[in-house]
Amino acid sequence: MKRSLTRCLPFSVIVIFCCACASDYKMLEATSSDPACFEKLAPRHFETSWFHASVDVVGHHLSGLLLIKNMPDSSYRVVFTNEAGVTFFDFGFSKTGDFTVHNVIRQMNKRPVVQTLRNDFALILGLPFRTDVHQKWLHGNEVYYGVTQKKKIAYFITNKDCASLQRLEWGSARKQTVVVQISENGYPKPEQIELVHKTFNMQIKLTRFQKE
Amino acid sequence: MRSRSFVIIFFAILFTGSFVSAYAQYPGYKPVADINAFKKKFAEESEKVQSITSDFTQEKTLVALTEKITSSGKFWFKRSNRVRIEYVKPFKYLLVMNGDKLLVRDNDRENKINVKSNKLFQQVNRIMIDCVQGTILDSKDFTTKVFENDKNYVLEMKPTSKALREFFDVIVLTVDKSDYAARSIEMNEPAGDTTTIFFENKKLNEAVADAVFAL
Repeated sequence: MKRSLTRCLPFSVIVIFCCACASDYKMLEATSSDPACFEKLAPRHFETSWFHASVDVVGHHLSGLLLIKNMPDSSYRVVFTNEAGVTFFDFGFSKTGDFTVHNVIRQMNKRPVVQTLRNDFALILGLPFRTDVHQKWLHGNEVYYGVTQKKKIAYFITNKDCASLQRLEWGSARKQTVVVQISENGYPKPEQIELVHKTFNMQIKLTRFQKE
Repeated sequence: MRSRSFVIIFFAILFTGSFVSAYAQYPGYKPVADINAFKKKFAEESEKVQSITSDFTQEKTLVALTEKITSSGKFWFKRSNRVRIEYVKPFKYLLVMNGDKLLVRDNDRENKINVKSNKLFQQVNRIMIDCVQGTILDSKDFTTKVFENDKNYVLEMKPTSKALREFFDVIVLTVDKSDYAARSIEMNEPAGDTTTIFFENKKLNEAVADAVFAL
């Protein structure tokens, strides 16, 4: 028994190692670009909305209200407050993608935290897709549209007949890092948004509510 | 000589300006002359309050974004240290403080927290109880100025601790002269945003079941 376990162990380690290294995007099959579908479903516009936000980060839970405001100059402001009104952060995203921290409480004012939130909201707002330069891949019944951003790729994924947007993703060269599920009614006024980090334990769930 | 006069005039204008602006914030109000007498009366009257049930409306104003969000709910207090705040519209959120224990429930989750485990929670708990019990004027967390008109007192509370100053520039508590209960609390954040909670349909000293504060 002990001998068979010793024999199996290296094999198991190799299998685990290979699985861990397997690329999430290896199965994608490059295909010619489709500007019409990109234009139709790229999440490029987000209407001003208030959300009830629920954030879970490595075992800690936080809730509050999140405002995504579409400004007259096509920039966005993203403001998160707790239910009693205290502002946790106020971020700005310009039309050209520049990022400004207007306000952040000391407890959250750490570079990795701010950068993570910046990337998360840039994807939700569809900022990487404001360009027309993109690549296209097929995988099963899904079509991936990708825009390269430095070392990462921002994807939006549609069904095969370009009828609807399925989800958004941030990916490194091999791995999915962030997945965003959007409720069926979709952009520019999604009812629900669920963002999940794949490399550490973090989730953001947004549920839109109508202002009184 | 000319330059000395200029300096005197400059400072006179500066001080007059700051004097005017201090009162301009509360039009129709004047400073309370005998602060110690007010303190005593405030504590005495608050002592008589055994329970409060009230509706509330909360207005959060994001100044730079010209956005306002209004929420509403119900507030309960029972002496000595039990508070329940329940937001009903446009979202559901519940906060119950019962002694050293705190319950927070949002759409998804329920969290029970021991207030003693966190300094900030302890501070928030103390401030809330001090405001309701009328002992806020003795609090070391704030320096307080008091103003009055014929109907209300205004308590202008500036946080003394660095931790609180990060969240609030000044908190303005408006107290009804008829029953010494809070009419509104206005929280001003350093970035200029404000949150004001208005209390309506107040009922003082009516029976409130202990179950309201069950955790």
